[in-house]
Amino acid sequence: MTMTAHASETITYAQVRPPFWRRFMDGLPRGTGLFFGYGVLFILYLPIVWLMILSISGEPLTGIPGEWTLTWYEDVIYADIAQRDGEAYGSNFRVGDPLLLSIGLAFATSAACVIGALIVGPVLPRVKRRGPLLIGFLMPLMVPGIVAGVGLFMWYRLVINVKMGVWSLALAHFVWAFPFALLAMLVVASRFDTRLMEAAEDLGASRWQRFWQIEVPILKPGIFAAGFFGFLLSFNELPFSIFMRAGQDTLPLYLWIQSGAHNTTVPLIYAMSTLVTIVSIGLTFLAIKLAFGGGKDGKQ
Amino acid sequence: MANSDVTVPRAAVGNGDQILHVEHATHRFGDVVALDDVSITARRGEFLTLLGESGSGKTTLLRIVAGLERPTRIARIAIDGEDVSAIPASRRNCTTVFQHYALFPHMSVGQNVEYGLRVRGIDRDQRRKRAEDALALVRLLDKYGRRVHQLSGGERQRVALARALVTQPAILLLDEPLGALDEKLRVDMQVELLDLHEKLGLTFIYVTHSQEEALTMSDRIILMRRGRIVQEGPPTDLFDRPASRFVADFMGVENLLEGTIESVQNGTASVRIGGHVISGAWSGTGLAERGAPACVAVRAERIRLAPRGATVDEPGVNALPCTSGATIYKGKYLDQTLDTDIGPVKARIWDRGVDVTDLEALWWRESECAITSAENGAGAGSGEEADAA
Repeated sequence: MTMTAHASETITYAQVRPPFWRRFMDGLPRGTGLFFGYGVLFILYLPIVWLMILSISGEPLTGIPGEWTLTWYEDVIYADIAQRDGEAYGSNFRVGDPLLLSIGLAFATSAACVIGALIVGPVLPRVKRRGPLLIGFLMPLMVPGIVAGVGLFMWYRLVINVKMGVWSLALAHFVWAFPFALLAMLVVASRFDTRLMEAAEDLGASRWQRFWQIEVPILKPGIFAAGFFGFLLSFNELPFSIFMRAGQDTLPLYLWIQSGAHNTTVPLIYAMSTLVTIVSIGLTFLAIKLAFGGGKDGKQ
Repeated sequence: MANSDVTVPRAAVGNGDQILHVEHATHRFGDVVALDDVSITARRGEFLTLLGESGSGKTTLLRIVAGLERPTRIARIAIDGEDVSAIPASRRNCTTVFQHYALFPHMSVGQNVEYGLRVRGIDRDQRRKRAEDALALVRLLDKYGRRVHQLSGGERQRVALARALVTQPAILLLDEPLGALDEKLRVDMQVELLDLHEKLGLTFIYVTHSQEEALTMSDRIILMRRGRIVQEGPPTDLFDRPASRFVADFMGVENLLEGTIESVQNGTASVRIGGHVISGAWSGTGLAERGAPACVAVRAERIRLAPRGATVDEPGVNALPCTSGATIYKGKYLDQTLDTDIGPVKARIWDRGVDVTDLEALWWRESECAITSAENGAGAGSGEEADAA
């Protein structure tokens, strides 16, 4: 222990003896923390990587990789159009409609999140007593999805009579994704220098020009982040969708039902999940690049 | 390097052609009165400075002219003959240079300068040409393509200046434009701004809290305090003939000696302070009255020393017996405190040869001091037609 080395000689180790957790931490070999961190990453990503490997294996249901093949990917397509080489194909794994619905919902949610965040985001940091407002907007983050799902179901169905199905799904997805989108926007908007709007006004810019030429470009990273969160959160959403579906299947809902029901379609789920994962990661990188890639302009 | 596209035709200064009228402007922020019934005018081509400490209302007044602040109450505001009371900032023929630059971070230097032309729908080539002319005017032509964050503070302020000039406003408003710059740069920029003013013949309305800056640059100074005008006039007026104790203090007069007026004669007032009578030109508002409290304002550099044994009793001279006090070394000069029986007096001594240890008296000429109102004089001049020209 070298911790007392710099102190005066009259202070003994017993006097500065650190608490047990400090001694425990000090006693751990170097790199323990890093090792632990990698462990968490490993637990997180191993199943996904494993699933990807199995999706190109001949016998995925055995859980053992090998006999590399792309047949499950072909099957995803053939199963959807219910025929192969001109003959009827005996699987009821029809992923096309859920996929289209999910993509549509994701785009709609994304657009709604961008618009909502762009309206609320720049105003919120300038409101006087914004604490309660902020909590109000972000509360949905803290309500468990199932609870909120039941609540929304009762509300839409019994009180305001929203047509259940695509509309209720879209509304629920917006409710779910908006707080995240708003949070992403607030990160950028809270640093926005409103004096720039005054400067633009002073130079002759109309309200619309100030919004479109000054505010939007500077808030661009927040806009991209909000849209991106809206898209991904909607695309992956399950708990709300369960209650809001009214006969409609989103992709996660469909995969969830299929994985519970038909053993024969599980390899197709592997393939589909792999595709979704790869596209999601691709989209994420694209969004980050779009939002922050031109970063040289973004900073002052 | 000035180009006709940016240059406004030089108008004769002082021909009484008023480009700005603000009449009876009052502005409140909640319960705080930021501006209390103030009227100002500016002549075409004038360099007018609004001077005052923070909270004096000078920036509020400037923002009202710009249209960025809607006054609580105003009788009339006109720019270049046009009543702009109901016209928003974006359609007023004046632009502002802000203390904090307010350059658009997502645009290049060129795009920043062009912005005022862009929102007016001027085509790209014309825009570029005029922006380059404006940048040439502030000696930054080579920075056209740069990003804002690549510029130094001084360069940013010059870009802000070019951006404000490019639309050829009738009035250029400058809100403490040098406040964020360091000392040396500030002095350089003062000269540059004066050159520009000279070259363009544009009306400048300049807000600052620095009396030194105001004295250096202005044709006319309006000194404000607590939302009112306390004195206005050319720099020499404020410097040599302060209308109140507050003005004298603000303009940096080191010695303010308070007493009561004993006699008044031909604009000269004599003030009794303790056992002494000190005379000088009356510069306070209104007429000097016998028995009224007054204040003798005399600058440290006007104080002269008489060595022991000397007699100082010429006419037109005020003298006080003194002894030497603390000395502060300032490099170019010494700040010498002299103790008299009416309190300490500060003298500025440039001549190193002077013996400051053994003194008979300090003295100054009557023509080198001002006698002014002892009260702080807030409100003097406000509400009147404030045209000192």
